[in-house]
Amino acid sequence: MLNYLINRIKGAVIVLFLVSIITFMVLMILPGDPAQLILGTEATPDMVKDLHVSMGLDKPYYMQYGSWLIDFLRFDMGESYLYGESVSLLILNCLPVTLSIALFSMIIATLVAFIFGVLSSVKKDSFIDYFSRSIMQLGTAIPSFWIGMVFVVFFGLRLKWFPISGYVPASENFIKFLKSITLPSVVLAIGEFGLLLRIVRSSMQESISQDYMEMARVKGLSLISIYFKYALRGAMVAPLTIIGMQFAKLVGGTTVVETVFALPGLGRLVLTAVEHRDIVLLQGLVMFITTFVILITLVVDILIMFINPRIKTFERGE
Amino acid sequence: MSKKKNSVYSNYSLLIGIILVLFILFICILSFIHIPYAPNEMNISERFIKPNSDREHLLGTDNFGRDILSRIMVGSRTVLLVSISSVIIGALIGITLGAISAQFKKVVGSSIMRIIDGLMAFPGILLALMLVTVVGRGIAGSIIAISIFMIPTFSRLVNSMMLDTESLLYIKAAKSYGSTNMQIFIKHFVPAMLPKLVTQFSSAVGTAVMIETSLSFLGLGIQPPNSSWGLMLSEARQFFLQYSYLAVAPGIAIIITVLGFNLIGDGLNDFLLKRRS
Repeated sequence: MLNYLINRIKGAVIVLFLVSIITFMVLMILPGDPAQLILGTEATPDMVKDLHVSMGLDKPYYMQYGSWLIDFLRFDMGESYLYGESVSLLILNCLPVTLSIALFSMIIATLVAFIFGVLSSVKKDSFIDYFSRSIMQLGTAIPSFWIGMVFVVFFGLRLKWFPISGYVPASENFIKFLKSITLPSVVLAIGEFGLLLRIVRSSMQESISQDYMEMARVKGLSLISIYFKYALRGAMVAPLTIIGMQFAKLVGGTTVVETVFALPGLGRLVLTAVEHRDIVLLQGLVMFITTFVILITLVVDILIMFINPRIKTFERGE
Repeated sequence: MSKKKNSVYSNYSLLIGIILVLFILFICILSFIHIPYAPNEMNISERFIKPNSDREHLLGTDNFGRDILSRIMVGSRTVLLVSISSVIIGALIGITLGAISAQFKKVVGSSIMRIIDGLMAFPGILLALMLVTVVGRGIAGSIIAISIFMIPTFSRLVNSMMLDTESLLYIKAAKSYGSTNMQIFIKHFVPAMLPKLVTQFSSAVGTAVMIETSLSFLGLGIQPPNSSWGLMLSEARQFFLQYSYLAVAPGIAIIITVLGFNLIGDGLNDFLLKRRS
């Protein structure tokens, strides 16, 4: 078990290291001259030279990379060219927005996936099974920006249930906060629940076909307690892993939804950085988000290791 | 009994998928033969005509008076060009890298797979966004960004399948006959992997369509005056509060395409699983 833990952490550190190299290469070496990329074609040579010195681009690559990585580990990601503020501060301001819609949408997606997943595995090949398989396919095929626009028109404009754009911090007004993140979260959840539903359904089916389920039936336990107490517990591990992965992925995948609903989150910040070619900001954002995602996945894996006895015995057996 | 039903369902998803994809291909081919109006022809006097209200514009016109049906038809070319070619490029590079790393397991192989792990760690379209910043917007930029996005899934798939297959007897037999690695790869590995690769290819095209339209929607993909469904939706954003029909046709076109390729992938997957068992 300890071996598994150490291996898992070692793997995460290596991946992070590689991510930092890829990010650095793509943004600092590939464009030829990042200063030129930031300033555009109208820049005078003097302006480019000044930016070179202030970004440290006059030093060799490995030194640039080294100092950038060390700064990043101290949560110092330089200053945004566009905003004139420190990148870490910008990220900290945007993080709560993205985290709240990612968390809320994961709650919605999990509820939907478990309800339909359990029902469709219990009543296999019934109407509910076909229905949930159909919405699963549709959910992954509907572009989030399109369903977002539809929701804005329908729930925002026609029914006036929710605001059509903007974000209200939770500290200001909790009800308004919930209302402002509901539509974006539902849109994100539509894109995410399909995969989760598939996993819940297949692991429930596997769990139902186990011998101890037959035993529970023979003992005459009620169907509800059989399915929800025994089968579901056995079928939790795979979905939990996926939930962790999907939540992590959502933190980096909210750009489109945040654009549709004009939310000031990390995704919008990424888009602004790309649009204005603010390399320092983009570099910091990509590194921060990816690190965050890798760390969440790591924590979820470790948590699951404690929940799931099978991994423990498997490791002991080795 | 239930098994029989199940196979009918899997054929259904394959069947529906094929119908949807054929429909999109038909529209794409038709756009080379006949388009009702020039896709970029602006006509201010015919702005915001609702779908089929004057019997001339089946899907209506947009804020510049351009015929939406014509733009959808021409847009299908862009979507299919970008998504299919980027999946082909990504798959070729991915398959090569996967095969190399399965063949030379030690230093080369493990370092390739590590880099693939690193590429896979970027969540969502973050990698594509980062690449678009550097390679530029437009059709070429989208193709490069999406094909790099596609490399990891293919190389992992090929790597794991080759490691599974290589211990089988017929591969060992071929080796003992003195076949070269290249011969074995083409004659034995490729046929064994082909079904899975085709499945993966189809689902990957669905994903690529989604990324292409998202990039275009964000203004980072296809640039005007070229027509793309994502771009149409992004242009519709300013007006769709009054004219919501603007968003209907491009959205449904995207759903049909993504759903079609996804269903083919899923249907094939089920079909192959069943055939094996």
